[in-house]
Amino acid sequence: MRSTFMGLETARRGMFTQQSALYTTGHNISNANTPGYTRQRINFAQTEPYPGVGMNRPQIPGQMGTGVEAGTVQRIRESFLDLQYRTENTKMGYYGAMSESLTKMEEIMNEPSENGLHSTLEKFWNALQDLSSHTENTGARDVVAATGQMVADTLNYYYNSLSRVQEDIGNQVDVKVDEINAIVAQIDHLNKQIASVEPHGYLPNDLYDERDLLVDSLSQLVNVKVTSVVPNTYGDAKPMAAGLYNIEIVQKDGKSYNPPISLISATKESGIVGTNKVELEKSEDSGLVTGLKIGSASFTQFETLSGELSGLINSYGYEAGGSAKGAYPEMLEKLNRMTSAFAKEFNEIHKNGYALGADAISGLDFFQFDEGNPAQSIKVNQELLDDSSKIAAAAEKGGASGDNHNAQLLADLRKKSFSDYTSLTDDEKSKLNGSIDSYYSGIIGRLGVDSQSAQKDLKNSAVLADSVDRNRQSVSAVSLDEEMTNMIKFQHAYNASARNITVVDEMLDKIINGMGVVGR
Amino acid sequence: MRVTQSMLSNNMLRNLSNSYSRMDKLQDQISTQKKFTKPSDDPVAAMMGMNYRTDLNRIQQFTRNIGEVRNWVDSTDDALDKGVMALQRIRELTLQASNGTLEGDQRKAVAEEIKQLKEHLQNIGDTQVGGKYIFNGKQTNVRPSESGFQSGTIELEVFSGIKIPVNTEGKALFEDMLSDEGDIQKLITALETNDPAVGDMLEKVDKNIDKFLSARALIGAKQNRVELMEDRLSQQEVFSTRILSDNEDIDMEKAIIELTTQESIHRAALSVGARIIQPTLTDFLR
Repeated sequence: MRSTFMGLETARRGMFTQQSALYTTGHNISNANTPGYTRQRINFAQTEPYPGVGMNRPQIPGQMGTGVEAGTVQRIRESFLDLQYRTENTKMGYYGAMSESLTKMEEIMNEPSENGLHSTLEKFWNALQDLSSHTENTGARDVVAATGQMVADTLNYYYNSLSRVQEDIGNQVDVKVDEINAIVAQIDHLNKQIASVEPHGYLPNDLYDERDLLVDSLSQLVNVKVTSVVPNTYGDAKPMAAGLYNIEIVQKDGKSYNPPISLISATKESGIVGTNKVELEKSEDSGLVTGLKIGSASFTQFETLSGELSGLINSYGYEAGGSAKGAYPEMLEKLNRMTSAFAKEFNEIHKNGYALGADAISGLDFFQFDEGNPAQSIKVNQELLDDSSKIAAAAEKGGASGDNHNAQLLADLRKKSFSDYTSLTDDEKSKLNGSIDSYYSGIIGRLGVDSQSAQKDLKNSAVLADSVDRNRQSVSAVSLDEEMTNMIKFQHAYNASARNITVVDEMLDKIINGMGVVGR
Repeated sequence: MRVTQSMLSNNMLRNLSNSYSRMDKLQDQISTQKKFTKPSDDPVAAMMGMNYRTDLNRIQQFTRNIGEVRNWVDSTDDALDKGVMALQRIRELTLQASNGTLEGDQRKAVAEEIKQLKEHLQNIGDTQVGGKYIFNGKQTNVRPSESGFQSGTIELEVFSGIKIPVNTEGKALFEDMLSDEGDIQKLITALETNDPAVGDMLEKVDKNIDKFLSARALIGAKQNRVELMEDRLSQQEVFSTRILSDNEDIDMEKAIIELTTQESIHRAALSVGARIIQPTLTDFLR
C-alpha cells in the first residue's frame, strides 16, 4: 500500500528540483560575461519508482514514479575544442612574439627611407665622387669626412638600438618564465583543491573553469599537452569528474620529448606527484639563453619549442652548437661582419693613397673600429676630421691636387664584390656575398620576408584560433535568451508543483476532515 | 550552431578592429604617398626600391660629374679658341713684318704688340676653372707660368666604369712656344734686331696654330661625347624615376576609392553592430 503523503513528497521534490534549476539559471545569467565560464546544466533524474522489486512488494497495479531529483550539475564543454584552441593559441603566441620583435627591427632599420643606412651610404659614395671631381677643394674633403662619420653614426645607432631592444626582449623572456611558473603553481593549487572535492562525489565546476582558463593562458606561452588523470584512490568520485591535470611540454607537432618534460605530473597510482619549475640558463659571456632547466632536465632544443616563450627566445637569441642563433644576434652579427669588411677594405685603399701634397703613402686608417664589435665602435679617424687634407685622394707620389685616382678607387668600393676585397681572409669572404650595396639590401629583403611571413602566420593562427573559439563559445557560452526561456520553463514547473501540493492538500483535507462523519 | 550574445559582440568587435586596421593602412598610404612603409609590407618591392634608388642616385651623381666635365671641356675650348685668335694675329703681324717694307720704329711697334700677345697667351695657359689651373696636368693648384707646365691626366667617371679624361696638357701647347728661347721670343728678338730671318718664323707660327687647332678638334670631339652622355643620363634619369615611382608610389585615385569603399563598409559594420547587439529576450518578457 502506498503512503498517504507520497503525493506531497513527489510535489515537494518537484519544487526543490525546479528551484535548483532556477538557481543554476541565475548562476549562468550572472556569469554570462565571466571569462572562462562554462554554462552549467542540472541533470534531472527521476527518483526510484515505488514499489521496489521484491518478494513482499505491495500488490498494486504497477510501479509508480515518485518524482524528480537534481542529479549532477554539469559543465557543458567540449574538450576536443579546448585541444584545438590551445594548439592555435600556442602558434599565435609564437608568431605574435616573433612578428612584434621583427617589426621593431624593421622600425629601427627604417628602410626604405631617406634616413636609413642605405641612403647614408649613398651620400657617402656621392661625396667620394664629388671629391674625385674636386680633389683640391677643402669643402669636398670635409664633406667626405663628415658623411663618412654619418655612415659610422648610422651603424652605431643601428647596433645600439638593436641591442637595446634585444635586452628588452631578454627581460620579457624572464617575465614569461616567471609567468609560466606562476600559472603552473596556480594550476597545481587548483589540482589539489579539486582532488579534495571530487572524491566526495561533487563536481567543482568553478574550479574546473578556473583551471581550464589557466591552461588556456599557459598554452599561449608554451606548447603543452594536458592529460586528465583520475587516480585510483578517488573514493566516491562521479564518473563525470575531470580528475587531475597532468601537464607536459611537447614539441611543435604535439609529440612528447624523450624523456618527457612535465610541468605538473599526476599519476593514477599516486595522484599528484609534483610540479617542475622552469628556470632560464644564460651564458655569462654573451648573455644569450643556453638552456631551460625544467625540474632536473636541461632543455636546449629551442627549434622544436613553440609558444610566446619560444618566440621571444628565438628573437633574443640562444646558443646552439657554439654559435649564436636568433633574429637579433644574427642581425647584429651581419651588421658587424659587413661593417668590419667594408671598413677594412676602405682603410686598405685609403692607406695606400697619398694625402694632398704628400710624398709618402698616407698609412692612415679612414675608419677606426674595435675588432670585437665593429658596428658599435666604428668612427672616422679623428685626424681626418680635424684636417681633411689628409684624406688620401691621390694615387701617385706627390699627392698632386688634381690626382683623384685613389678617390675614385674609394668610390668604386660600392660595386666591388666582397670576394675581390684584398683585406679579407678567405673565411671572412665566405660569409659575405655580393657588394656592400647588394649585401645590405639583401639583409633588408630577408628581414622583410621574415617579418612578413611571421605576420601572415600570426594572422592565420589568429583566424583559426578565433574560429575554434567561436565553436567553443557556441557550446559553452551563456545565451541570455536561452536562460530566459529556461527560467520561464522552470518557474512554471515550480508553480505547477506547488499547485500539486494544493491539490494533495485538498485531497488530504477530504480524507482527514471530511470522511467518517456520517450522522454528525 | 548555437549563437550567443557574447559571440555576437566579440564578432562585432573583431570586425570593427579589422576594418580600423584597413583604414589605418590606407591612411598611411595616402599620407605618405607610398605603397609601403616597412620592408615586410612588400619585401620584393622594398628591395627593388632600394636598388632603383641606387640607380637613380648614381645617375644623378654622374649628371653632376658630367656637369663638371662640361665645365672643363667648354673652358678648354674657349681658351684654345682665344689662343688660336692670338696666334693668328701674331701670324698677320709676322707676315707684315716679313715683306721688308716696315721701318725700324714700325717693327718695334710690331714687336711690342707681339710681346703683349705673348703675355696674353701666357694668361691663356694659366686659365682657371673653379680655382683649378686646367692646363697644368694634375697640379691644378699651381700656376703653370710660375712653375712650368706639369703633366698628368685627370679623369672623371661619367657612367658606371666609363671615365673621360677632362684636361688638356698645356705643356705641348704652351711651354716651348712661350719659353725664353721659344718661337715667339725668337720672333720678338728678330723683329727688335731687324733680323731678316723673320720670314722663316712664319712657318713656326703656323706649326703652333696647327697644334692649337688639332687640340681644339680633340676637345670638340670630347664635347660631342659629353653631350651624348648628358642626353643618355637625362633619359635614364626620367626612366629610373618612373620605375621608382611605379614601384612604390600609390595610385592616388585608387587609394581614395579604396578609402571611400572602406569607409562605407565601416559605417555599415557600425550600424549593423548597433542593431544586432541590443535586443534580447529580456526586452520582450514582461
